[in-house]
Amino acid sequence: MKPLRVTAAVLTAVLLISACSGQTNDAKAANPAPTDGTLTVGLLGDIGQPPDPDIYYANNGLAIVLNTYEGLVQYEDNLDTVKIAPRLATSWEVSADKKVYTFHLRDGVKFHDGTAFTSEAVKVSLQRRTDVKGGAAYMTAGVQSVDTSDPSTAVVTLKEGNAAFLDYLASPFGPKMISPDGLARNKGSDDAQTYLTTHDIGSGPYSLSAVQTGTKYELTQFDGYWGTRSPFTKVELPVYNDSSALELAFDKGDVSAIVAALPSSDLKKYENSAAADSYLLPTLQSALVTLNPSGSFFKTAQARLAFLQSLDREKLIPQVLGNRSELATTLYAKGMIPDGADKQNITYNPEAMKTYAATLPAGSTMTIGYATGNPNAQQLATIVAAQMATLNIKATAQGYPTAQVFDWVNDPAKGPDAFFDGNNGPDGGNPYMWGHVFWDKSGGINYFACDDPSVDADLDKAVLTGDNALFVSAAEKYAASGCYLNFSYNKDWVVAQKWLTGVAESHNIGANELNFAKLGIKG
Amino acid sequence: MIGFLTRRAGAAIAVLLVLTAAVFVLQQNSPGDPVKAYLGANASPAAVAAERASLHLDDPLASRYWHYLTQALRGDLGTSYRTHRPVTADLGAFLPATVELVVVAFLFALLLGAVFAMLRTIAGTFVRGILLVGATAPPFLLALGGIILFYAHLGWLPATGRGGNDDGFLLTHSLVTGDWAQLGAGLQHVVLPALVLAVAPAVSIGRILRASLQQTLGADHVRTARAKGLTEAAVFGRHVLRNSIGPGLSMAGLQLGFMFAGVVVVEQIFSWPGIGNYLAESIPAADYPAIAGVTVVLGAVYVVTNTVVDMIQALADPRIAL
Repeated sequence: MKPLRVTAAVLTAVLLISACSGQTNDAKAANPAPTDGTLTVGLLGDIGQPPDPDIYYANNGLAIVLNTYEGLVQYEDNLDTVKIAPRLATSWEVSADKKVYTFHLRDGVKFHDGTAFTSEAVKVSLQRRTDVKGGAAYMTAGVQSVDTSDPSTAVVTLKEGNAAFLDYLASPFGPKMISPDGLARNKGSDDAQTYLTTHDIGSGPYSLSAVQTGTKYELTQFDGYWGTRSPFTKVELPVYNDSSALELAFDKGDVSAIVAALPSSDLKKYENSAAADSYLLPTLQSALVTLNPSGSFFKTAQARLAFLQSLDREKLIPQVLGNRSELATTLYAKGMIPDGADKQNITYNPEAMKTYAATLPAGSTMTIGYATGNPNAQQLATIVAAQMATLNIKATAQGYPTAQVFDWVNDPAKGPDAFFDGNNGPDGGNPYMWGHVFWDKSGGINYFACDDPSVDADLDKAVLTGDNALFVSAAEKYAASGCYLNFSYNKDWVVAQKWLTGVAESHNIGANELNFAKLGIKG
Repeated sequence: MIGFLTRRAGAAIAVLLVLTAAVFVLQQNSPGDPVKAYLGANASPAAVAAERASLHLDDPLASRYWHYLTQALRGDLGTSYRTHRPVTADLGAFLPATVELVVVAFLFALLLGAVFAMLRTIAGTFVRGILLVGATAPPFLLALGGIILFYAHLGWLPATGRGGNDDGFLLTHSLVTGDWAQLGAGLQHVVLPALVLAVAPAVSIGRILRASLQQTLGADHVRTARAKGLTEAAVFGRHVLRNSIGPGLSMAGLQLGFMFAGVVVVEQIFSWPGIGNYLAESIPAADYPAIAGVTVVLGAVYVVTNTVVDMIQALADPRIAL
């Protein structure tokens, strides 16, 4: 038995040394560019839902949807503010009452099945969004009619004015144009939902050529694309379920780029690397703190505001989120309201929480939640829980699976006292899209149903006309409830091989993904 | 034999009923709203309520369970909340990858277990040392260590995927059709995850087999066989191994069942598109139709595996009656 123990000890040592030694990314040379025209973009985890533009409502598969389909408009690429830009519509007019939107359509656009793009496609696409009843069906729920009498002009009439409608269309989750013929051919009994799990009927620069759910997705360049074409004739999106394995593949050169998938703790490694480029790109995303008024701890607005003031964001943000985030000074996303009129008046003041803690019974407990699998939120929750201990509050940081987080709204008392959201954001750049989802009880991400009907009313009124003053008023009222803190503005972090060009130019503030058609190879 | 198979079929049905009932009770009592995962984060409460109704999630538990059972008898295990596909289609796509991984891992486990038990040379000690180190490490650590060593540093083996576009039995298909390039790529991809999966079972099988062999080697009939002048190989093959293999086979069968249940971590880290990976992604999304589907498959595999092992044991050792 003795030789066996010695062998085991020696082997353990050898394996440990082998695993720990070798070149680190910052020490090695840059990887060479591919010569076979293949771009490889690593995904962390499977895309989770079918890449159907009217179904897909998550993040890491957006790259597939946004490169195979196009909307009428999009957000301007490579810009850190919200600006609507043309895509399949070259120009548009909006009526004064925000009810009639007239789109002048781009000539010479063909879908992947060869069908020409006309106003009929606009009508069919908006109708399918409504019929399929996916998570983002609300974007077309207000459409009354689409006039297609001129094939090159689509006139969309809404049931009532909606100043956010262009943002709905520009949203990465917004309605995308689909081939009417392709839809008719593959409609089946489910509006082509089955067909679109493995195919596409879009007009984007790439078509979906292979789907291996959980393993790999493959896009092939569309020869008939109307716009810019990249040197990449094929894009592979392999799925990695572990961020370490994804990093190793990137370091080895098997992956060309990673978009918004690595933890912030790796930021320094790549920012200082001579072998890779690291990009921090603007988004509408934020880290958020939500407090639960249904629990015993945060029943009053005073208690909630005291807790929010006790968060030393100037220290926590660099410590946990690094350069990827900056202190949020507005109630909406950065730049959503012109001139930052939606100022967030929460400043660091630990005394208020100390005063509140002194009024609590001995042994008071607090649960600080975070979404399982979000290391940034976990770290924030853990640090804040430790800080609460100094006030004699027994605070616990606890992870919750996504499905459980979304169930709290049905019974908020089941939720934690506070929830740290590492990264969340609206579907688009209109203030209504922020205020509605985070503050309105029916919005979807008001986790603890902390609601003020007057805020909902203001938002509903403001969206009819786009009245920014009313949006600001709604935000200020909601902020006074102390249920919510815009913790930090987050950026999209892209790590790319040195040879990859056009990364910033292929990214826009709404879509946390790259337009592969705008990428290139250095030299 | 017919009586044995009938009893086992009855047991299989009972096991599957209990397992599916457990999943339904779990679903009823678990916090979480799968419809939010199904529709997306920003879906409005109205859309969520409509979808809950269409998925019958507001029906009483007993009614839903009865509906599930009657549909399952028709081959319909429901629709995955996450992939939006029928669970049977998902299982059909993912199960072959798991079967091939487990079969290869099982062959590795048998081989390494035999080496662990029988090889009495320096090489045997070396293999036992490696296996003991591997078996004591948590699977995720072993998997990551394997990727770092064999993929990142040595570049001998790929880190993720199956090495082909075939959703089905990739290795079997390439073997049958003579697609040697695909077979080579497939084997290259399966080696590392299969080895990680095989290490702990190999030690379990090897330990049992080794103990059994040592006991048999000291038995009277072995001494008699040697006294008759039989060669050591003949003694071992005819009189030792056959009498000792029963416990090893029993352990191997048990381990095969465990391997199916234990693929979750290995498939996650190696991005192996099998039912383990499917299950791991379904759990956070509270995708209960998918979870129940995988549970049914794993339960059935466990019962069938044990039945087959019992039959093999009876064939190997005539003293065992079924």
